[in-house]
Amino acid sequence: MSEQDMPGGELLVILRHAPHGSSWLREGLDAALVAAAFERRVSLLFMGEGVTALLDGQQAGALEQKGTAPTLAMLEMYDIDALLVEDEAMRRLGLGEDDLMLPVRRVGGEAIPGLLAAHQLVLNF
Amino acid sequence: MLLHILNRSPLDSRVPEQALISMGPDDRLLLIEDGVQGALPALAVHFDGLEGRLFALREDLASRGLLSRCDKRVRLVDVADFVTLTEEAERTVSWY
Amino acid sequence: MRYAILLLGAPYSHQAAHSALRFTRALVERGHEVAGVFFYHDGVQNAARLAAPPQDEPHLVDGWTALHAEHGVPLQVCIAAALRRGLLDEREASRHGKSGHSVAPPFELTGLGQLVDLGLRCDRLVAFGP
Repeated sequence: MSEQDMPGGELLVILRHAPHGSSWLREGLDAALVAAAFERRVSLLFMGEGVTALLDGQQAGALEQKGTAPTLAMLEMYDIDALLVEDEAMRRLGLGEDDLMLPVRRVGGEAIPGLLAAHQLVLNF
Repeated sequence: MLLHILNRSPLDSRVPEQALISMGPDDRLLLIEDGVQGALPALAVHFDGLEGRLFALREDLASRGLLSRCDKRVRLVDVADFVTLTEEAERTVSWY
Repeated sequence: MRYAILLLGAPYSHQAAHSALRFTRALVERGHEVAGVFFYHDGVQNAARLAAPPQDEPHLVDGWTALHAEHGVPLQVCIAAALRRGLLDEREASRHGKSGHSVAPPFELTGLGQLVDLGLRCDRLVAFGP
């Protein structure tokens, strides 16, 4: 992704945790969805093991915990168009875009500082 | 210029790495809480290239017995300086 | 300047709560306006009315309450994160048919939209995580 088409906006939510293991991912997504519902321009950056949130084939947990995949599947409705994934994390996990449930934009490490600088507020989850 | 605030040690976590790749060339890094372990000379190598932009919170070093064991390249700040660092930066981003 | 604080760590489990209180006091001493402290994720536990730490340890709930009393700092707790973790004010307790309540003023249960609003309205948001 070149500097020119780097998405900017009001809020950048960085998601760094996997689904099911903790509430970080769900609570981070909730913050993003609320901001989008208030018509703020929101970008999501999946970093580190956070990229596993996007894997297809996720299910509810053994106690019927909903997980976050259904929420992610609804993202389009919320007008969050910038779905960014860290290239290096995909490589480390040995995953390709075929493994993901949604179309994403891959971001190289060199683009991440610019992404943070281009948003008015950055929240880490 | 952004101020990044880090509370995890490079010894046990990948979070410092996430903070580092997210830093722009003028951004500053402040180590607090368990993050101050990164001020030890043996670990400060993880922050090579941040000379003059690497800070650690004095009271968190002191409470951990690390104050006299800091790498020379780390700039020590008290809580009032922490406030100043946030004033001087356009925004802050915390890593935990 | 106008500041907002985001606290995501539970008290006494992680230093985040101490750091946030300490930093917020320093902001007030410097003369900054603190437009709100927002408690989210495990940070909502800081609003537990019944916290009873030993007397020789800092009392964080009292610390936040004093900041509110002396400087009018709003203490806003994410309602969704709080209810899941058993933190209910009188109104929510009655709505859910519970016999006691675990959150009391000056802590107020509020929506997550407040966090976004605070973050975008203030000159600086400083987050403290576990």
